[in-house]
Amino acid sequence: MSKLRVAFIIPAYNEESVIANVINDLRRGLRTVKYNFEIVVVNDGSRDDTEAVSKKAGAKVISHILNSGSGGATATGLSYAQQNHFDFAATLDADGQHTTEDVKKGINIMLKEEVDLLIGSRLLDSKGMSKVKILGNRGLTIITFLLFGVSVTDSQSGLRIFSKRSLNELKWRTSGFEFCSEMLWRAKQLDLRIKEYPIKAIYTDYSLLKGQSNWNAVNIVKSLVKRRVTELFGE
Amino acid sequence: MSRYLILVLLNIPLIGIALLNTLVTYKMGHISLRRFVLKITFWIIILAGLIFIKNIYTFLFSRGLTQTEPLSLFDVVQITGVIYIFHLVNRLYVKFGLLERKVKDLHQELSIRLTTKK
Repeated sequence: MSKLRVAFIIPAYNEESVIANVINDLRRGLRTVKYNFEIVVVNDGSRDDTEAVSKKAGAKVISHILNSGSGGATATGLSYAQQNHFDFAATLDADGQHTTEDVKKGINIMLKEEVDLLIGSRLLDSKGMSKVKILGNRGLTIITFLLFGVSVTDSQSGLRIFSKRSLNELKWRTSGFEFCSEMLWRAKQLDLRIKEYPIKAIYTDYSLLKGQSNWNAVNIVKSLVKRRVTELFGE
Repeated sequence: MSRYLILVLLNIPLIGIALLNTLVTYKMGHISLRRFVLKITFWIIILAGLIFIKNIYTFLFSRGLTQTEPLSLFDVVQITGVIYIFHLVNRLYVKFGLLERKVKDLHQELSIRLTTKK
């Protein structure tokens, strides 16, 4: 029987100062795992040295010619995993907010249970998260439920693990951060099995500075409403 | 020739083209069944409005909702213009949607292939 293959996708935009640490930590943490893996950085048209730094750290780098947003970069990474016949793919944030332990825990859940889309939820145990972040994430999660009827605790989490079926079937239209919610909606439409598990989120000064401000949530909501209304009239 | 007749003759080809385009885009798989039904309904309502334009105008005038009775030449031009704009907006909407999807797919595929070739 051939060995299981897992792709770890890291969409990155101007992350030269942290991306090497993220790749190295991940590789170090995965040293003992029994499956084959590849770390893939999707450089989303960065203007800094993200591409060179990621290559130097030993990751496979797919470079977007144009910046197309987090949703676009994630779609490219997952499309690469699908074309290269990976069994699972996991997406991680490039700012180092996810621990390798949580990533490994997620893969183990995928191996044991029949899940198509596994979401690492920061809100099942929100210790260490600022109240503003909790409020923003909960707000978007409620909006995701109201618009799309998908009930999860953390609709915006960047740590997600995809089964082969998800890799083959799951597609979305939006390319910004709103793709997180749209992806859940598409998964529901496809009747994919969605599950959540608790993860810790590490917030450094860097990730707080780079992360989404709650004001961006307004843009996300606008895009989601637009998408929902457009599809209400068919497309 | 009656101005009502001019209006109908000017606009029926436009509506015919719009209905045909909607059918073709649906058959080509570019729009969903729901959108197809909505678009066809929209154009049929406009067509019905045109066919019964005289009755509608008489009704509007009798209720004091329009001051221009009978239909002026300007009204004919204006209504034709509005219908043409509807038609253009619909076509542009479909074309932009398709183009956006194609560019996105192209960008994605190009990025992967260029990386694999290196």
